[in-house]
Amino acid sequence: MTILENLKTVFEGKLGDVLSHNNITFFNFSRNTNETIEVKDGNKLVIDISKATEEERKKIRNILDSRVQSENEAFLMDHSSGKTLKIKQSLPSGESEELLKFYKDKLKPEMYKALEASLIVKNAFERGEDISEIKQDISERYPTFGNNLCNLVTRDYFNKHFKELYRSMLEDEDFDINVYQRKVENIVKSLPYTVFITRYKAYDELSREVRFKLDKQQKYGAGKLLLHGLGRENVNTTVTILEEYKENNHLNTQIEINPKKTIITATFIF
Amino acid sequence: MKLSQLTFSESARDDILDLYGKSIDSEGFIVEKDNPNQRVLTPNGEEIHFKEWGGIRKGSEAFIKNDAFSLIELAKKLE
Repeated sequence: MTILENLKTVFEGKLGDVLSHNNITFFNFSRNTNETIEVKDGNKLVIDISKATEEERKKIRNILDSRVQSENEAFLMDHSSGKTLKIKQSLPSGESEELLKFYKDKLKPEMYKALEASLIVKNAFERGEDISEIKQDISERYPTFGNNLCNLVTRDYFNKHFKELYRSMLEDEDFDINVYQRKVENIVKSLPYTVFITRYKAYDELSREVRFKLDKQQKYGAGKLLLHGLGRENVNTTVTILEEYKENNHLNTQIEINPKKTIITATFIF
Repeated sequence: MKLSQLTFSESARDDILDLYGKSIDSEGFIVEKDNPNQRVLTPNGEEIHFKEWGGIRKGSEAFIKNDAFSLIELAKKLE
Protein backbone atom coordinates (compact mmCIF):
# COMPACT_ATOMS: atom_id res chain seq x y z
CA MET A 1 0.00 0.00 0.00
CA THR A 2 1.41 3.44 -0.91
CA ILE A 3 1.72 6.23 1.63
CA LEU A 4 -1.10 8.07 -0.12
CA GLU A 5 -3.34 5.03 0.15
CA ASN A 6 -2.36 4.74 3.82
CA LEU A 7 -3.24 8.36 4.42
CA LYS A 8 -6.55 7.98 2.66
CA THR A 9 -7.52 5.42 5.29
CA VAL A 10 -6.76 8.01 7.97
CA PHE A 11 -8.36 11.06 6.42
CA GLU A 12 -11.40 9.48 4.90
CA GLY A 13 -13.25 12.06 2.86
CA LYS A 14 -10.75 14.86 3.60
CA LEU A 15 -8.43 13.84 0.77
CA GLY A 16 -11.20 14.30 -1.77
CA ASP A 17 -10.05 13.65 -5.32
CA VAL A 18 -6.35 13.64 -4.50
CA LEU A 19 -5.05 10.63 -6.35
CA SER A 20 -1.37 10.83 -7.09
CA HIS A 21 0.93 13.09 -5.16
CA ASN A 22 4.56 12.14 -4.90
CA ASN A 23 5.49 14.88 -2.45
CA ILE A 24 3.71 14.71 0.86
CA THR A 25 4.81 16.98 3.69
CA PHE A 26 3.66 17.45 7.24
CA PHE A 27 3.26 21.14 7.76
CA ASN A 28 1.93 23.55 10.33
CA PHE A 29 -0.21 26.08 8.54
CA SER A 30 0.11 28.45 11.51
CA ARG A 31 -2.97 30.38 10.59
CA ASN A 32 -6.60 30.43 11.42
CA THR A 33 -7.98 27.63 9.32
CA ASN A 34 -9.66 24.38 10.13
CA GLU A 35 -8.28 22.64 7.07
CA THR A 36 -6.08 19.63 7.80
CA ILE A 37 -5.02 19.00 4.22
CA GLU A 38 -4.08 21.31 1.38
CA VAL A 39 -2.48 20.97 -2.02
CA LYS A 40 0.38 23.43 -2.54
CA ASP A 41 2.13 24.45 -5.72
CA GLY A 42 -0.16 22.17 -7.69
CA ASN A 43 1.52 18.90 -6.74
CA LYS A 44 2.55 18.97 -3.10
CA LEU A 45 0.17 17.49 -0.57
CA VAL A 46 0.58 19.12 2.83
CA ILE A 47 -0.97 17.83 6.03
CA ASP A 48 -1.24 19.84 9.23
CA ILE A 49 -1.18 17.25 11.98
CA SER A 50 -1.68 19.88 14.68
CA LYS A 51 -5.27 19.99 13.39
CA ALA A 52 -5.67 16.23 13.19
CA THR A 53 -7.86 14.46 15.72
CA GLU A 54 -6.32 12.22 18.36
CA GLU A 55 -7.50 9.17 16.41
CA GLU A 56 -5.96 10.49 13.19
CA ARG A 57 -2.68 11.23 14.96
CA LYS A 58 -2.50 7.66 16.30
CA LYS A 59 -3.04 6.28 12.83
CA ILE A 60 -0.39 8.61 11.36
CA ARG A 61 2.09 7.43 13.99
CA ASN A 62 1.31 3.83 13.03
CA ILE A 63 1.88 4.62 9.35
CA LEU A 64 5.19 6.32 10.16
CA ASP A 65 6.34 3.39 12.32
CA SER A 66 5.44 0.99 9.56
CA ARG A 67 7.28 3.02 6.88
CA VAL A 68 10.37 3.57 9.03
CA GLN A 69 10.68 0.20 10.75
CA SER A 70 9.17 -2.26 8.25
CA GLU A 71 9.81 -0.50 4.95
CA ASN A 72 13.20 0.83 6.15
CA GLU A 73 12.47 4.40 5.10
CA ALA A 74 14.16 7.45 6.60
CA PHE A 75 11.54 10.00 7.64
CA LEU A 76 13.29 13.37 7.44
CA MET A 77 12.71 17.07 7.57
CA ASP A 78 12.35 18.25 3.98
CA HIS A 79 15.62 20.21 4.14
CA SER A 80 17.52 17.18 5.53
CA SER A 81 15.95 14.96 2.89
CA GLY A 82 17.22 17.24 0.10
CA LYS A 83 20.65 17.50 1.71
CA THR A 84 20.90 13.70 2.02
CA LEU A 85 19.98 13.30 -1.62
CA LYS A 86 22.64 15.81 -2.64
CA ILE A 87 25.23 13.95 -0.51
CA LYS A 88 24.16 10.60 -1.96
CA GLN A 89 24.71 11.89 -5.49
CA SER A 90 28.20 13.10 -4.58
CA LEU A 91 29.46 10.17 -2.49
CA PRO A 92 33.02 9.23 -3.42
CA SER A 93 33.21 6.76 -6.28
CA GLY A 94 35.89 5.73 -8.76
CA GLU A 95 39.06 7.77 -8.23
CA SER A 96 37.89 9.48 -5.05
CA GLU A 97 36.79 6.14 -3.56
CA GLU A 98 40.28 4.76 -4.30
CA LEU A 99 41.76 7.81 -2.61
CA LEU A 100 39.72 7.13 0.53
CA LYS A 101 40.85 3.51 0.55
CA PHE A 102 44.47 4.68 0.38
CA TYR A 103 44.08 6.90 3.44
CA LYS A 104 41.77 4.61 5.45
CA ASP A 105 44.55 3.14 7.62
CA LYS A 106 46.91 6.09 7.35
CA LEU A 107 45.07 9.11 8.73
CA LYS A 108 43.62 9.70 12.19
CA PRO A 109 39.89 8.83 12.20
CA GLU A 110 38.71 12.44 12.52
CA MET A 111 40.92 13.56 9.66
CA TYR A 112 39.73 10.62 7.56
CA LYS A 113 36.10 11.62 8.20
CA ALA A 114 36.86 15.21 7.21
CA LEU A 115 38.59 13.92 4.07
CA GLU A 116 35.54 11.88 3.10
CA ALA A 117 33.21 14.86 3.61
CA SER A 118 35.60 17.14 1.71
CA LEU A 119 35.61 14.76 -1.26
CA ILE A 120 31.81 14.99 -1.26
CA VAL A 121 32.13 18.79 -1.26
CA LYS A 122 34.53 18.56 -4.21
CA ASN A 123 32.22 16.22 -6.14
CA ALA A 124 29.15 18.35 -5.38
CA PHE A 125 31.00 21.50 -6.47
CA GLU A 126 31.97 19.84 -9.75
CA ARG A 127 28.30 18.95 -10.25
CA GLY A 128 27.46 22.63 -9.88
CA GLU A 129 25.75 22.21 -6.49
CA ASP A 130 25.78 24.72 -3.65
CA ILE A 131 28.41 23.39 -1.22
CA SER A 132 28.35 26.11 1.44
CA GLU A 133 26.29 24.21 4.03
CA ILE A 134 28.32 20.98 3.89
CA LYS A 135 31.56 22.95 3.96
CA GLN A 136 30.33 24.84 7.00
CA ASP A 137 29.44 21.55 8.72
CA ILE A 138 33.04 20.38 8.19
CA SER A 139 34.45 23.62 9.62
CA GLU A 140 32.13 23.48 12.63
CA ARG A 141 32.89 19.84 13.42
CA TYR A 142 36.67 20.31 13.02
CA PRO A 143 37.38 23.99 13.66
CA THR A 144 41.17 23.64 13.78
CA PHE A 145 41.61 21.94 10.42
CA GLY A 146 38.26 21.33 8.64
CA ASN A 147 38.23 24.34 6.37
CA ASN A 148 41.92 24.01 5.47
CA LEU A 149 41.56 20.31 4.70
CA CYS A 150 38.60 21.02 2.47
CA ASN A 151 40.65 23.59 0.54
CA LEU A 152 43.57 21.17 0.20
CA VAL A 153 41.25 18.47 -1.17
CA THR A 154 39.87 20.92 -3.73
CA ARG A 155 43.45 21.66 -4.79
CA ASP A 156 44.24 17.91 -5.12
CA TYR A 157 46.90 17.85 -2.39
CA PHE A 158 45.57 14.51 -1.15
CA ASN A 159 45.86 13.00 -4.63
CA LYS A 160 49.49 13.96 -4.90
CA HIS A 161 51.40 15.67 -2.13
CA PHE A 162 50.30 13.66 0.91
CA LYS A 163 50.59 10.39 -0.99
CA GLU A 164 54.11 11.30 -2.04
CA LEU A 165 54.88 12.32 1.55
CA TYR A 166 53.73 8.90 2.75
CA ARG A 167 55.81 7.04 0.20
CA SER A 168 58.89 9.10 0.98
CA MET A 169 58.50 8.59 4.72
CA LEU A 170 57.89 4.87 4.22
CA GLU A 171 61.40 4.59 2.77
CA ASP A 172 62.89 5.60 6.11
CA GLU A 173 63.95 2.60 8.17
CA ASP A 174 62.35 3.92 11.34
CA PHE A 175 59.05 4.82 9.67
CA ASP A 176 56.28 5.48 12.19
CA ILE A 177 52.68 6.05 11.02
CA ASN A 178 52.11 8.36 14.00
CA VAL A 179 54.82 10.68 12.72
CA TYR A 180 53.16 10.73 9.29
CA GLN A 181 49.80 11.53 10.88
CA ARG A 182 51.30 14.36 12.91
CA LYS A 183 53.07 15.75 9.84
CA VAL A 184 49.87 15.77 7.76
CA GLU A 185 47.97 17.36 10.63
CA ASN A 186 50.64 20.01 11.07
CA ILE A 187 50.63 20.91 7.37
CA VAL A 188 46.82 21.00 7.16
CA LYS A 189 46.50 23.18 10.28
CA SER A 190 49.26 25.47 9.03
CA LEU A 191 47.86 25.95 5.54
CA PRO A 192 47.46 29.76 5.75
CA TYR A 193 51.12 30.04 6.68
CA THR A 194 52.64 27.29 4.56
CA VAL A 195 54.52 27.49 1.28
CA PHE A 196 54.71 24.25 -0.69
CA ILE A 197 58.03 24.14 -2.47
CA THR A 198 57.44 22.52 -5.83
CA ARG A 199 59.50 22.01 -8.95
CA TYR A 200 56.58 23.22 -11.02
CA LYS A 201 57.37 26.78 -9.95
CA ALA A 202 60.53 28.68 -10.86
CA TYR A 203 62.96 29.50 -8.06
CA ASP A 204 62.32 33.24 -8.32
CA GLU A 205 58.58 32.71 -8.05
CA LEU A 206 58.98 30.54 -4.92
CA SER A 207 61.44 32.97 -3.38
CA ARG A 208 59.02 35.87 -3.94
CA GLU A 209 56.14 33.83 -2.50
CA VAL A 210 58.12 33.08 0.66
CA ARG A 211 59.13 36.74 1.05
CA PHE A 212 55.55 37.93 0.46
CA LYS A 213 54.03 35.48 2.97
CA LEU A 214 56.77 36.18 5.49
CA ASP A 215 56.07 39.93 5.32
CA LYS A 216 52.35 39.27 5.65
CA GLN A 217 52.74 36.84 8.53
CA GLN A 218 55.12 39.19 10.35
CA LYS A 219 52.54 41.96 10.08
CA TYR A 220 49.31 40.05 10.75
CA GLY A 221 50.03 36.36 11.21
CA ALA A 222 50.58 33.56 13.67
CA GLY A 223 54.29 34.19 14.17
CA LYS A 224 55.51 31.44 11.91
CA LEU A 225 55.83 30.33 8.30
CA LEU A 226 56.33 26.75 7.12
CA LEU A 227 58.21 25.73 3.99
CA HIS A 228 57.45 22.20 2.96
CA GLY A 229 59.24 20.31 0.21
CA LEU A 230 59.21 16.72 -1.06
CA GLY A 231 61.90 15.10 -3.20
CA ARG A 232 65.61 15.90 -3.36
CA GLU A 233 65.23 18.77 -5.85
CA ASN A 234 62.64 20.51 -3.69
CA VAL A 235 64.66 19.91 -0.55
CA ASN A 236 67.64 21.60 -2.22
CA THR A 237 65.46 24.49 -3.40
CA THR A 238 64.12 24.95 0.14
CA VAL A 239 67.63 24.98 1.59
CA THR A 240 68.68 27.62 -0.95
CA ILE A 241 65.68 29.78 -0.03
CA LEU A 242 66.57 29.41 3.66
CA GLU A 243 70.07 30.68 2.92
CA GLU A 244 68.55 33.97 1.79
CA TYR A 245 67.57 34.53 5.43
CA LYS A 246 70.63 33.25 7.28
CA GLU A 247 71.77 36.81 8.15
CA ASN A 248 68.32 37.77 9.42
CA ASN A 249 68.53 37.95 13.21
CA HIS A 250 64.79 38.42 13.64
CA LEU A 251 64.01 34.94 12.37
CA ASN A 252 64.52 31.73 14.25
CA THR A 253 64.61 28.77 11.85
CA GLN A 254 63.82 25.15 12.69
CA ILE A 255 64.66 22.61 10.01
CA GLU A 256 63.56 18.97 9.84
CA ILE A 257 65.07 16.81 7.06
CA ASN A 258 64.69 13.05 6.87
CA PRO A 259 67.83 10.88 6.65
CA LYS A 260 67.45 10.34 2.90
CA LYS A 261 67.05 14.09 2.35
CA THR A 262 63.78 13.70 0.47
CA ILE A 263 61.48 15.52 2.91
CA ILE A 264 61.97 18.95 4.45
CA THR A 265 59.84 21.01 6.76
CA ALA A 266 61.43 24.31 7.69
CA THR A 267 59.73 26.71 10.07
CA PHE A 268 60.51 30.39 10.38
CA ILE A 269 59.54 31.56 13.85
CA PHE A 270 59.41 35.28 14.59
CA MET B 1 17.14 2.00 3.11
CA LYS B 2 15.14 4.59 1.19
CA LEU B 3 14.25 8.22 1.72
CA SER B 4 10.55 8.44 2.48
CA GLN B 5 8.45 10.49 0.09
CA LEU B 6 6.80 11.71 3.27
CA THR B 7 8.71 14.58 4.88
CA PHE B 8 8.00 17.29 7.41
CA SER B 9 8.66 20.98 7.25
CA GLU B 10 10.45 22.99 9.92
CA SER B 11 7.08 24.43 10.91
CA ALA B 12 5.81 20.95 11.80
CA ARG B 13 8.91 19.92 13.79
CA ASP B 14 7.24 20.34 17.20
CA ASP B 15 4.11 18.50 16.00
CA ILE B 16 6.20 15.52 14.88
CA LEU B 17 8.20 15.49 18.11
CA ASP B 18 4.91 15.55 20.00
CA LEU B 19 3.68 12.64 17.90
CA TYR B 20 6.72 10.68 19.09
CA GLY B 21 6.20 11.67 22.72
CA LYS B 22 9.08 14.15 22.76
CA SER B 23 9.40 17.79 23.73
CA ILE B 24 12.17 20.39 23.99
CA ASP B 25 13.81 21.38 27.29
CA SER B 26 14.79 24.88 28.40
CA GLU B 27 18.21 24.54 26.73
CA GLY B 28 16.70 23.48 23.43
CA PHE B 29 17.47 19.75 23.62
CA ILE B 30 14.97 17.07 22.63
CA VAL B 31 13.70 15.18 25.69
CA GLU B 32 11.12 12.55 26.61
CA LYS B 33 7.83 14.35 27.19
CA ASP B 34 6.98 12.16 30.18
CA ASN B 35 10.51 12.46 31.60
CA PRO B 36 11.99 15.85 30.69
CA ASN B 37 15.26 15.05 32.47
CA GLN B 38 15.97 12.36 29.90
CA ARG B 39 17.49 13.79 26.74
CA VAL B 40 17.02 11.82 23.53
CA LEU B 41 20.28 10.47 22.08
CA THR B 42 21.36 9.66 18.53
CA PRO B 43 22.52 6.09 17.82
CA ASN B 44 26.05 7.51 18.41
CA GLY B 45 25.05 8.65 21.89
CA GLU B 46 24.88 12.38 21.15
CA GLU B 47 22.24 14.69 22.62
CA ILE B 48 20.22 16.49 19.94
CA HIS B 49 19.48 20.20 19.97
CA PHE B 50 16.17 20.85 18.25
CA LYS B 51 17.92 22.92 15.57
CA GLU B 52 20.17 19.94 14.75
CA TRP B 53 17.40 17.40 14.38
CA GLY B 54 17.09 15.90 10.90
CA GLY B 55 14.55 13.10 11.33
CA ILE B 56 14.12 9.43 12.15
CA ARG B 57 15.48 6.26 10.63
CA LYS B 58 15.05 2.57 11.32
CA GLY B 59 16.04 1.47 14.78
CA SER B 60 14.67 1.81 18.24
CA GLU B 61 13.87 5.54 18.40
CA ALA B 62 16.71 6.29 15.97
CA PHE B 63 16.68 10.09 15.91
CA ILE B 64 19.33 11.55 13.64
CA LYS B 65 21.02 14.92 13.29
CA ASN B 66 21.01 17.03 10.16
CA ASP B 67 24.76 17.73 9.94
CA ALA B 68 26.72 16.50 6.93
CA PHE B 69 28.48 13.72 8.88
CA SER B 70 25.21 12.16 10.12
CA LEU B 71 23.64 12.44 6.67
CA ILE B 72 26.72 10.95 4.96
CA GLU B 73 26.28 7.82 7.08
CA LEU B 74 22.60 7.77 6.12
CA ALA B 75 23.31 8.40 2.42
CA LYS B 76 25.73 5.46 2.34
CA LYS B 77 22.92 3.16 3.45
CA LEU B 78 20.45 4.34 0.80
CA GLU B 79 19.61 2.01 -2.05
